[in-house]
Amino acid sequence: MSVLFPKWLNLLPTVVALGGAGAGLVVPVGVWYYATPDFFEVGYMPNQPGSGFNHQIHAGKLGMDCRYCHTHVEESPEANVPNVATCIGCHAETRLSNQVVPDEKVAFIRTAYAGDESVSWRRVHKLPDYVRNFPHHVHLKAGVSCYSCHGQITSMPIVAQNQGLGMGWCLKCHRNPEPNMVPPEKATDLRWVENTWMQTPVKQREYHGTTPEGLVKALREKPPQNCGYCHH
Amino acid sequence: MSTIDQCPSTKGPKAKNPKDMPPAARELVRLNGDARLAPIWRSAEEFADAPEFRDFVEREFPAGASELAESSRRDFVKIMGAGLALAGAAMVPGCRRPDHKILAYSREVPEQVIPGKPIYYATSMPMPGGGAQGLLVETHEGRPTKVEGNPLHPINRGKSTIWSQASILAMYDPDRLKNPRFRNPVRGDLPATWDDFTFWANEHFKKFDGTRGAGLVIVADRASGPTRDAIRARLAKRWPEMTWVSWDATSSDAPVAGGELAFGRPVRELFDFERASVIVSFDRDFLHLEPGSEINARTFAASRRALHPGDAMSRLYVAESGMSLTGGQADHRWRLAPSRVSAFAVALAQAVASRLPGGNIAPLKAALDGIDAPAGEDLDLNAIEAIADDLVDNRGRGVVCAGATQPAEIHAICHALNAALGNAGSTVRYMALSEDESSSAAAGLAGVAQQLDAGRVDTLVFVGTNPVYDAPGALGLGEKLKRAAHTIAFGVEPSETHDACEWSLNAAHWLESWGDTRAVDGTIAPIQPMIAPLYEPALSEVEFLAFLAGDAKPNGYDIVRDVWRAALGDNDFEKAWRRALHDGVVAGSTQRGETPGVNFAAVARAVGALKIGPGPRGQSLEAVFLASNMHDGRFANNAWLQELPAPGTMIAWDNAALLSPATAKRLNVTPDPYTTKEPKGRKCRVNVDGRSVEIVAWILPGMADDVVLLPLGYGRTKCGSVGEGVGFNVQSARPASGALAATGASLERIRGEYQVASTQNHWSLEGRTSIFRQVDKPAWDTLGSNETRTPDAIYGGTISDLNFAEKLGELSHTPPNVSIYANPFNESLDAPAPGSRYARGPQWGMTIDQTTCTGCGACTIACQSENNIPVVGKKEVAKGREMTWIRVDRYFVGKDLNNPEAMVHQPVACVHCENAPCETVCPVNATVHGDQGTNDMVYNRCIGTRYCANNCPYKVRRFNFFEYGDRNINGGYLGEDLIPGGGPTNQNLIPPSLRKRLDEIQRMRMNPDVTVRSRGVMEKCTYCIQRVNEARYEMKLQDLDSLPDGFFQSACQQACPSGSIAFGDILDPESEVAKMRGNARSYLLLGYINTRPRTSHMVRVVNPNPRIRTPIDNPFHHGHDGGHGGGHEDGHGSEGDHGHDAHGLPGDDHGHDAPHALFDPRKKAQDEGYALTLRVLGAQTGMMA
Repeated sequence: MSVLFPKWLNLLPTVVALGGAGAGLVVPVGVWYYATPDFFEVGYMPNQPGSGFNHQIHAGKLGMDCRYCHTHVEESPEANVPNVATCIGCHAETRLSNQVVPDEKVAFIRTAYAGDESVSWRRVHKLPDYVRNFPHHVHLKAGVSCYSCHGQITSMPIVAQNQGLGMGWCLKCHRNPEPNMVPPEKATDLRWVENTWMQTPVKQREYHGTTPEGLVKALREKPPQNCGYCHH
Repeated sequence: MSTIDQCPSTKGPKAKNPKDMPPAARELVRLNGDARLAPIWRSAEEFADAPEFRDFVEREFPAGASELAESSRRDFVKIMGAGLALAGAAMVPGCRRPDHKILAYSREVPEQVIPGKPIYYATSMPMPGGGAQGLLVETHEGRPTKVEGNPLHPINRGKSTIWSQASILAMYDPDRLKNPRFRNPVRGDLPATWDDFTFWANEHFKKFDGTRGAGLVIVADRASGPTRDAIRARLAKRWPEMTWVSWDATSSDAPVAGGELAFGRPVRELFDFERASVIVSFDRDFLHLEPGSEINARTFAASRRALHPGDAMSRLYVAESGMSLTGGQADHRWRLAPSRVSAFAVALAQAVASRLPGGNIAPLKAALDGIDAPAGEDLDLNAIEAIADDLVDNRGRGVVCAGATQPAEIHAICHALNAALGNAGSTVRYMALSEDESSSAAAGLAGVAQQLDAGRVDTLVFVGTNPVYDAPGALGLGEKLKRAAHTIAFGVEPSETHDACEWSLNAAHWLESWGDTRAVDGTIAPIQPMIAPLYEPALSEVEFLAFLAGDAKPNGYDIVRDVWRAALGDNDFEKAWRRALHDGVVAGSTQRGETPGVNFAAVARAVGALKIGPGPRGQSLEAVFLASNMHDGRFANNAWLQELPAPGTMIAWDNAALLSPATAKRLNVTPDPYTTKEPKGRKCRVNVDGRSVEIVAWILPGMADDVVLLPLGYGRTKCGSVGEGVGFNVQSARPASGALAATGASLERIRGEYQVASTQNHWSLEGRTSIFRQVDKPAWDTLGSNETRTPDAIYGGTISDLNFAEKLGELSHTPPNVSIYANPFNESLDAPAPGSRYARGPQWGMTIDQTTCTGCGACTIACQSENNIPVVGKKEVAKGREMTWIRVDRYFVGKDLNNPEAMVHQPVACVHCENAPCETVCPVNATVHGDQGTNDMVYNRCIGTRYCANNCPYKVRRFNFFEYGDRNINGGYLGEDLIPGGGPTNQNLIPPSLRKRLDEIQRMRMNPDVTVRSRGVMEKCTYCIQRVNEARYEMKLQDLDSLPDGFFQSACQQACPSGSIAFGDILDPESEVAKMRGNARSYLLLGYINTRPRTSHMVRVVNPNPRIRTPIDNPFHHGHDGGHGGGHEDGHGSEGDHGHDAHGLPGDDHGHDAPHALFDPRKKAQDEGYALTLRVLGAQTGMMA
């Protein structure tokens, strides 16, 4: 018999038991930690057409306001992606010297404009189909900064997803909105929001008399938490 | 009663099962306790109350509702194998996040478009048969998704109908014609282009300049619009001898001829029922689908609201052959064959004339008296005298009208009566008809057939018409078409005519076209395109006609503007044009109608020659042809309309020869009771004047005996994948004269049976008879109340005593409600405590007025369009799997299966219970309560246990058994060739992953604000929560403190032509819904089970003439004291609150000893459901002994 079963095999049941117990722990913990949007979605950074739109240059270096391009964000649920005509407003051949912006970098924009064709930007932030698209206008009006969901866009050469956008993440803010409340007029000033406002403890934040607490009180209704507000 | 035992199996020796009771007893049980009150029933099966029906109801869902399919296991394995074979290919894209593209506009940026926000454009829709509707179309980034009525258009006033609502689906129909097709005599059908056609046509049509148009025939759809009329005039100028036929397959010549008799010229009546007190209709369904019915439905409803006791209310008398929606609304109704309706009309005219002394009606009186109208027993002379008195007493406030089945003389008599009674000019005005509308369609087409026979037709052009299918069979047009040298068919959808023609041309849908319309009241409205033609190039109707008239490159925009500029003048034309486009109407074009004088002498002459037949005798029947929801068949490929149950029969996806139950029995064609698993009707052959049609026979209570009703518009052979082979084409039996009624028909049973999908018994509820409540007006006047209650008082229970409407129902006999489930938003039973969520608005609620609801189904289609509700197809409907969120239940009222007093309608959608039974049984919290009082459905949580649907007492939850929302129903499937033998006939055997998905075009019609639900998910009415949310966003953006009433509407409310649906914030005392909910006519469906619905229904009030039927002035009828035993007291518990006198139970004084009170507590042991309720509730409140 000893020929068939070496002695170390006696350890096998112990190893199996311990391994099983370990796996039983590791798998749920792994799923709990990793199988979430925070792990799978955050950091999603698809390649964009051309060389992409560099938010770091436009919104960061040049200091353009978000709403210069995302024109309808205050009146529509969608934060629209600008029409090609908006790009051409600055990037028309006669407007900027190719010392500043080399022609080849914006050629795809000019081609699209000449042919009246769209540029197929790839979507970064996407909610599932069973959720109503995030209503940007009311959030902006209430005083939620772009920064809270999209991160520091002004330092992103290529836009990547910054938050998980899961339902728990939504509800976290809807249950306790104060940490994310920003004076509406400063909501698109992402540098200020990150470096000044968010660095101050919530209770001490104040901007010309506007406080997070005051902003929450001014809401017409508490941030809703019922299913029907987003799922329909 | 000291122990509570809820287990049905331990009830001991109680207890006859209600099923075992003799039928008569059951019937009396359902008499609502009062033998004078008419019972209410949904079908012949329920009326007979056979044991099978009890089984059917107890099962709640029809047999087979949750079985996969009826096919064999072998089929199933076969398909699964094919599925696996395809699975590999389907899985390749794998686990990567799908790439979504964002495509913004480029250089040409449309003005006003804000991505994510819809824009509404005004336009108008030419309605079949003439007339038009003014509409607003919701467009999302340039794609139309929803049609609403235009509030500025006098026809619609914001309302719409099934046809306008469903037109959006037709535009996205993938079966539309996409390009021209030419039939080469040698090489057969060849795909062609518009260039090919214009090249050919430019040469071809030149030759008619030489013949002055002789040899050219144009058969155009009957419609009216300034531009179209102008082009027609150009055509007539270019080719004076051209033949132009304005074709409408569902019209008869009689109404026009009647107008010519009375006024010397063709007219159309414009009714104002709002001013009317007495309305008499001879076989005219003026509330449904006829041109102008939108106005009629609105003003008729306005005359009958009866919101307060003592309010004036009109009275409607109907004599008709079928069972129409108008007949259902009638206070008094007689079912008579068409020829007997004429006799009825003559008898009434005689009675009225004899009451009007002298005057201009005198010659008519003499002529009427001379008519030899066989009296017959079917004419209720007493009633006719009463109607005549009613009409004469209400001079100037009456309406007499006749339908298309009636001969011209009867129409003339109606005109004369209206003039003599002073109604003309008050409740009835007249609009002159254009040449197109007044010409005889049948005679025109018969003329074409003659020309074809004579070989005089060179070129035959069909513009939006389909006579090969819908011409009367006697003409034999399909065969004769071959005698024309060239045939051209132009239209949006494929058709039999397109199939038969040399050239088949694709048209632009009206949502893609420029044009204009003229409504029945003369209102001119523009048609403006919402989207470029989906299948370009395509010409619109006016462009095509202009091309024929000689325009080389017709442009609809310019054509319409040129015509308008000629009409409106150059001054400020741009301003007027832009205004008209914005408003959707041309200011000042609406006319009131005129009141021409009636030529009584001419009417008298014509009437003198009138022959009235004796009605159907012996084996001979009278046949009536009737436009259906498909109209003349043009909507046959519209799945929404196909799945909308037909009024009366509730048959979906079919038509049938309709007979009264007695006639069906006599002819031995009674269909299977609907309680069998797959009920079948008997096939029969209907012969009319030597032509015959084979069709399935079906019964419709309330139809005249010995009449067979044949709905038009079914049995298409070429129209696309939805409508082909649905139903039977009855046009082939229609007389060549185009008359809609024919005598001397016969019906014989032939071999064969045919399955019919009727929803009439779906969602039936056991023993819950007081769901529909109806009272006579005197009862409402004397016992009703003006008091308006708070939103919560309606719940009854411990709050206060019951209102008028609730006293009519079970609540008056049950102990006060107690809550079994804790409500998170309102812990208290009474009005919500201050500070609780339910005490703060908005709290949504809905009220449906059953007095004015006509049952037209506009709400169902509007909901289907707004909420992306799929269709399921006939087989699935037959299994009770229809998905429409709003069902319009149809009940008959009366004690006679053959002759019900009324047909009533009750729209039921989710009632949004505050104590919702569905929520407590969902294992995954997929249906939960919102803090605004809505019962929300979270689709992505739903795992499809269907517990909620089982626990829903209202049966309003719909389960998506297959991938209905995203897959084609009859559209074939992938991998067809992989399945040996071609696959099964039942599409649903095919796994959804193999079925063809909706293509990109079809998906464009979806409302982007509503999730497209997938398989295995429960769904139901959401109170249009997407609209609620949009409105809330607006409220916040505009800094409003609350949502003003009317800020937004639910889709059903917005569509309802009679304005029967109110929706809004029940806490806002000024809101319409709060007023309706507080009205004493308001009651809750199944209020006694304490679900506290947010939707309330309002008791129907009818206004009988006391001389014809004694009104029941006290529906609570106390009966006799002897009837109240100890048991009664036992059941009531404390009843001090709600007034014993007003609603006691009837006693045993009706000469029988059967238990005749549904909720007679002494008999509670025989009614398990009720006994159970009593014990649970009674014991909990400690009221039971």
